[in-house]
Parts: sequence; structure tokens; C-alpha cells
Amino acid sequence: MNPVLETAERNEPFGNLEPEAIDKTWRDERGLKGWLSVTTHQAIGKRYIVTAFMFLLLGGLEALLMRLQLSSPENTFLGPGRYNQLFTVHGTTMMFLFAVPVMEGMGVYFVPLMLGTRNVAFPRLNAFGYWMYLAGGLLFYGAALTNTAPDAGWFAYPPLSGPQYSPGKGVDVWAQMITFTEISALCVAVELIATILRMRAPGMSLNRMPLFCWGMLVQSFMVLFAMPAVMVASTVMLLNDRTIGTHFVNPAEGGDPLLYQHIFWFFGHPEVYIIFIPALGMVSAIMEGSTRRGVFGYPAVVLSLVANAFVAFGLWVHHMFATGLPQIGEAYFTAASMMIAITSGVIIFCWIATLWTGRIHLTAALHFVFGFIVIFVLGGMTGVMLASVPLNLQAHDSYFVVGHFHYVLIGGALFPLFGAFHYWFPKFTGRMIDERLGKIAFWILFFGFNLTFFPMHIVGLNGMTRRIYTYPEIVGWQNMNLLATAGAFTILLGGIVFIANVLTSRKSGAPAGNDPWEAGTLEWATSSPPANYNFVHLPFINSRYPLWAGKADRGFVTGMRSDRREVLVTSVLDAEPHHRYVLPGSTIWPFVTAAGLSVGLVGSIFAFSGYFVASALGMIGVIGWFWPREPLEMKP
Amino acid sequence: MVLAARTPGDEAVTTPRVLDVSGLPAYDISSRSPLWLGQLLMCLIEGSLFLILIAMYFYLRLSVDVWPPPGVQLPNLILPTLALIPLIASCAGSYLASEAAKMNDRRGMLVGMALNLVLAIVFLVLRTVEWYGLNFTWKADVHGSIVWSILFLHTYDVVADLIMTTVLVVLVASGRYGEKQRLGVHVDSVLWYFLVAIWLPLYAVVYWGSHVVGAPQ
Ligand code: HEM
Ligand SMILES: [Cu+2]
Repeated sequence: MNPVLETAERNEPFGNLEPEAIDKTWRDERGLKGWLSVTTHQAIGKRYIVTAFMFLLLGGLEALLMRLQLSSPENTFLGPGRYNQLFTVHGTTMMFLFAVPVMEGMGVYFVPLMLGTRNVAFPRLNAFGYWMYLAGGLLFYGAALTNTAPDAGWFAYPPLSGPQYSPGKGVDVWAQMITFTEISALCVAVELIATILRMRAPGMSLNRMPLFCWGMLVQSFMVLFAMPAVMVASTVMLLNDRTIGTHFVNPAEGGDPLLYQHIFWFFGHPEVYIIFIPALGMVSAIMEGSTRRGVFGYPAVVLSLVANAFVAFGLWVHHMFATGLPQIGEAYFTAASMMIAITSGVIIFCWIATLWTGRIHLTAALHFVFGFIVIFVLGGMTGVMLASVPLNLQAHDSYFVVGHFHYVLIGGALFPLFGAFHYWFPKFTGRMIDERLGKIAFWILFFGFNLTFFPMHIVGLNGMTRRIYTYPEIVGWQNMNLLATAGAFTILLGGIVFIANVLTSRKSGAPAGNDPWEAGTLEWATSSPPANYNFVHLPFINSRYPLWAGKADRGFVTGMRSDRREVLVTSVLDAEPHHRYVLPGSTIWPFVTAAGLSVGLVGSIFAFSGYFVASALGMIGVIGWFWPREPLEMKP
Repeated sequence: MVLAARTPGDEAVTTPRVLDVSGLPAYDISSRSPLWLGQLLMCLIEGSLFLILIAMYFYLRLSVDVWPPPGVQLPNLILPTLALIPLIASCAGSYLASEAAKMNDRRGMLVGMALNLVLAIVFLVLRTVEWYGLNFTWKADVHGSIVWSILFLHTYDVVADLIMTTVLVVLVASGRYGEKQRLGVHVDSVLWYFLVAIWLPLYAVVYWGSHVVGAPQ
């Protein structure tokens, strides 16, 4: 080893030895083709996040339109048909095009950094997943703009969504958009599990893995088991009934609309946890960075995450209490639904202990975490209420439920996400985000959020049902609705402050350095923003928070080749080095494959033969993707 | 640890520990490869898809009195059962190819994959013949819908895997392969074992289902 550089190494624990060579190996091509060929996880992760935020804006815009319509009784701003489209497109956008993809994007960006490796295990699959997601979003909004928006609600229950009551192509577009986004989620799940189980830094045994990575691991397994269900519901059952004449939801021929509900919610309930569990990981990361201590009760938190995932697959029927299932079944699902409060409670108490015993640094990110805890606990309490069948039957399909699920979705996912965005902003951009503006945005959002959604509980208990486009004056709901509308515009204001903060801090924020929060996990061990290869020397660790360990405990890996995209494969449990593994280079084929598949899948909305087009084009793409490139043999 | 951490003696405290991995193999064709794990996860995804379809079959069965619906002939059991023989035997071809891939034995890979392909095609031919014996389509009623969905999806996966195997045969035969492609041959066998294994419960449901849990018309 070069003695000069060895000294440099001592100051910078995982420092710089041969940046030029490795930089050349990992560089992306320039130009449009280069842009379409990118396979580095940071670029793909950022694309996911930016695209998802665009969809958040669109979904928010739709919400504002709905709130405007409901602000006064007998309003004629929107007609019933348009309103139906708006809540369907809003709900679908938020769930499928925003919440899940944004969590996947954060995982794609941070998991390899936190694990101390160079990229995800399957970089091309990662690129492909993103393109599928984008195509699905474009299809959905393309259809909406040409007036073929679906209008049967975000879960498209038959018989309303069936061929008889929803003519036109709206529901077909909805069903196929699900296929696109689920393919994308499955790609991310597969590659993250493989990365987490096989590519952790040497020494990072599973019990030293950052909690965010645990969250992504658990979430990815949930995706594997849940997403196939929604594809069965939306494509095999609903779309095929509509296009090729199967009878899954047609009672006249032995089909059963309730079966659709079962299959949909077998996915739909875990879906909430697919959004929420990564958020728990984010909160843990923010806590650690803002209290300068590890999360209290790490094993308890991990076990609770895993337990949540298991229990989440046994809860789906609580969405169907009003369908008149056997009582014994309802009792079971009530008990199981309440059980989730125990595991979530364990996590919350561990966080409280962390805050209690840490040195709190009251950052903007931590504000969002506090906001999350308050809102989520409230949403959790209405959740426990709704899990009891008698109350559920009263509140079913009322605004009480709308209030409840926005408390858990926005409180449980959006606030942690915004916190994480403030916390990791320096890593994304190399600059600090303005703390003061961040806190202002937080208070506006927190206030606006409660102003919007708290009144919904009350107006719901007063009898206002969800999905109605207007109401008569005598029922006396106008004040609560006006408050909610005012709240929605307050949220808009908070959003504008947040966006302004992001845009200005990106340009003129204070330079951040590698580790502005003095946090302990590996994403902070490299430059901000990280180079395409993340670390010049892969870290080699022997504690849970390697950056807090003494210098003598830090280590790095040598002997990796820099002239090809090499990563280190380690064992599943203890992360002992096993072999070196060469990742494939950047290529345009994932884009081509996704494009071909998309053309066919869009065609399948019109004729079943579209699937054969999709398969043929997809197969051509995959062959190009896997076609051997020189050099064929890898000499050690 | 495979490799002990090396700490240069004289400045043990301040120098970072170094882990030299240059001695580790530069590739690995085994179940330790990330690609193998990725393939296994793909199988899990398809497995949950098929398990959901099986659950649907029984749910739909339980919600009617007459199963299969009037007019549907009980499926013939001989042909689909015979077809299991080439299908299960084809795993031997996959196994040969995947072991040969580990040892970089080109002939072994070609023989194995060819055996796999030929037996799988025999299976597909028998399956197609069998399909002509079914006197209902997916449009007939919900029994037809679920049975044909299972048959179609499984056949689709089988055909897709056979095309990929064919591509691998072409690559290996033309000599245009290295470790990555050998690893491809190895993990391709994982998918094939899965498609064969999952067919057994699917076969039981599709062909025995209406015999065993059916009710007289
Ligand atoms: C930004 C502030 C938001 C506002 C003001 C808002 C407002 C609304 C309104 C007014 C409805 C229609 C209620 C009805 O007529 O039944 C609705 C439905 C819904 N929202 Fe939001 N929402 C917001 C954010 C979100 C987010 C972030 C998510 C998910 C992550 C979400 C998920 C949903 C879902 C799933 C529905 C149900 C759609 C349906 O009934 O099919 N919303 N929201
Ligand atoms: Cu639920």
C-alpha cells in the first residue's frame, strides 16, 4: 500500500485510495442514451422519489378539488361523476403511485449505503422496475386526461366495477396500472432482499443491521406475499371478467364479488404496513441521528417489526365486517386487529425510552417524528375503535373512516417521510436543509393536517358518509366541512414552504460534509452526495454503529478490483466474506424491455392478445438484457 | 471469519483494520450467489400467486352445491397423470446441466439442457392433447374460469422458462459464455424445479379436485 495514502487513510476511516480507476468503472455514459441506461441505485432511488413526489402533488391537487366541492352544501362546482373520478384517482394515486413507490425509492437509495456496498444486487432489475412504475403512472394519467378515469373507488369493488355497471375503459386502465406498479414493487423487493441478505459489509451480522434496513427487509417480504394477491384480484378476476368473459365476480355463473374483496384485502391490509414499516425504520434512523444513541431495545423493535408483518396478513377481514361474515370469524379478526396495537406499542415505548435517555438535538426532522407519534397514536386509537365490530358497523363508510385512515396514512407514512427527507437531505444533495424553514413547514403541516382531518371524525359520527359529492344544508355538516377545506389549503401552504425550502437549500444550503449529524451508521461514512460506487474501500465493521466506535475498531476491505463493478458477497447471518461478485454494467435494455412490455400491457386493455405482444417484446428485451458481453471469463 | 483481520503490528491502535479479500474467488456458481437467491424469491412470488389460485378454487367450490357445474365432464385422469412422468424426469436434465455448469463442463450443460427441453416439450404436447379433452372454456362458468386460469398461468411460466433455457443452449453451444452464463444455467434449474414442484398441487386440484371434492349433478 502506498505509505502516503495510508496516512490519509488514518484520518479518513474508509478513505481514498484509487478513486480515478474506480470512478471510471462506475461512471455513467452521458447523453440521452446514457440517461436511459443508468443503473446506479442512487440515481434510480432519486428518480423514484422525485416521480413519487410529482404524484403526491397531483393527488393533493385532486384532494383540493374535492375539498372545494365539499366546502359548502349543495355546491355545484363538481358534478357527481367528476367527484367519483376524483376520489378514485386520488386514492389510487396516493396508494399505488405515491406511497409505495416513495418508500421503495428511499430503500433503493439508502439500503446499499447503509449496508456498506456499492449497488443493489440486481441493478438492471432496479432500472427496469423504475421504468415500469413510470409507465404505469403515465398510462393512468394519460387515460385520466383523455377522460377515461376510473370511478369505482380505489379498491374497485365489483359488481360496481364489473362489466355491467362500469362500461368504458376506466376500470380496465385502473386494473392494468396496478400490474405496472406491482411489477415495480416486486422488482425492488427481490433486489433489496438479495442485497440485504447477501451484500452486507463484512462483520455486519444481522443483529448489527440498521433498523431502516430491517424495515425494508420485512417490507420486501410482505411485498412478495401481498402483491401477487392484488394482481390476481385486479387482473385475473376483474380485468379478465371485463375483457375475456371469465366469471369470477359474476354471481350468475357461480362467481362471487365477496371473493374479490377477500383477495383484494389480503393484499390491501398488508399494503398499509408495506407503507408504514419502512416509515418505522426511518423514524428509528432519525431518532438515532438526533439523540446520538442507538434505539433503545433494538431486539424488541426488530421482533415487533417482524411480528407486525405476520399479524398484518391475518387482519384483512376487518375491512369486510359489514359484509355479514360468520360471527366467530369477526371475533377472531377483531382480536387480531387489536394485537397489532401491542407490537406497535412496543416500538413506540422503545422510542420514548430512546428520547428519554439520549441527548436530544431538536432538529426539523425530529419535529416530524414527534408529529408522527402524536398523529399516529390518535389514528391508532380510532383504529382500535374500528376493530370492534359493533362500532365498525356504525362507522362503516362514514367520514369517521376517512379521518381514521388519513391519520394513519399521513401520520404514519408522510410525516416520517418528510422527517427522513430533512434528515437525509444532506446526503442527497451535499447541503444542509434550512432548519428554521423546516420547522415552520412542520408546524403549518401539523396544524393544517389536524384541521383537515379531525373534523372528519365528528362529521362522520354525525352521519356523513364517504364518497358523496354534496350534502343538503339542513344536516348541519357545513361548518366541519368548511374547517376541513380550510385545513386542506393550510396543508397546501405547508407544502409550498417545504418545496421552497428544498429548492433553495439545494442551491444555497450550508455545505454538509460527510456526517453532519454525527450519526453512527454507514451512509454517513462516505461523501455527500456519494459517488456512484458509494465507498472507495468497502467498510468492514464490528459494531452496530461503526462511526461511533473508536478509530481502532474501524476497518476497511482491500483487494477488490477497481476495473470492474465488483462487490463483496457475504454470508446471510454473520456477513462473513464469501466471494466477489461482478455486477453488470449500465445498459439501455431494461428501458427497452419495460417499453416493450408496456406497449403490450396497454394493448391488453383492448384485447387479450396484448399479453402476447407484451410477452414477445418483453422476451426480446430480456434476451438483449442478458446477452453476454465481453469479457466473458472473469479472471480473478 | 474466512479471513482474519490483519492489523499492522507496530501501530495497532490507530491504524484501521484491513480485510484483504483478494484471495476470495471472483465468482461463485452455487446457492451462495445473490442471483440464486433472486431466483428463489421469484419462485416465492409465483408460489404465492398459485397458492392464492388454489385457495380461490376451494372458496368457489364451497359456495355452490354442484361442482363441477352441470354439463362439465369430469376430467380424464390418465393423460395428465402420464404427463407427470416426462415432467418429473426433466428435472434430471436440469440437475445435470446445473452440476455441469459448476464444473464448466460444456457437454454436460448441453446434454442436460437438451434433455430438459425435450422432456418438457413432450409434457407440453401431452398437455395440449389433454386440453382438447376438456369440454368447457373459461367463459362457461366460474369453474371453467378458475381451472383455465391455473392451466394458462402455469403453461405460460413453463413456456417462458423453456425459451430462456433455449437461449442458454444457444449461448453454450456457440461458446459465447463465461461464468455469468454458467451461473445462469445453474439458477435456471431452480426455476424449473419450482415449476415442476408447484405443478403437483395444481395438478391435484385441477384434475382430482372435481373428482374428490365434487358433488353429483
Ligand atoms: C394532502 C392532503 C390530503 C387531503 C386533503 C385528502 C383528502 C381526501 C378526500 C377529501 C377524500 C375523499 C373522501 C370521500 O369523498 O370519500 C380522500 C380519499 C382518500 N384518500 Fe386522501 N387526502 C390527502 C392525502 C392522502 C394521502 C397522503 C393518502 C395516502 C397515502 C390518501 C389516501 C386516500 C384514500 C385511499 C382515499 C379513499 C379513496 C376512495 O374512497 O376510493 N390521501 N382524501
Ligand atoms: Cu386493515
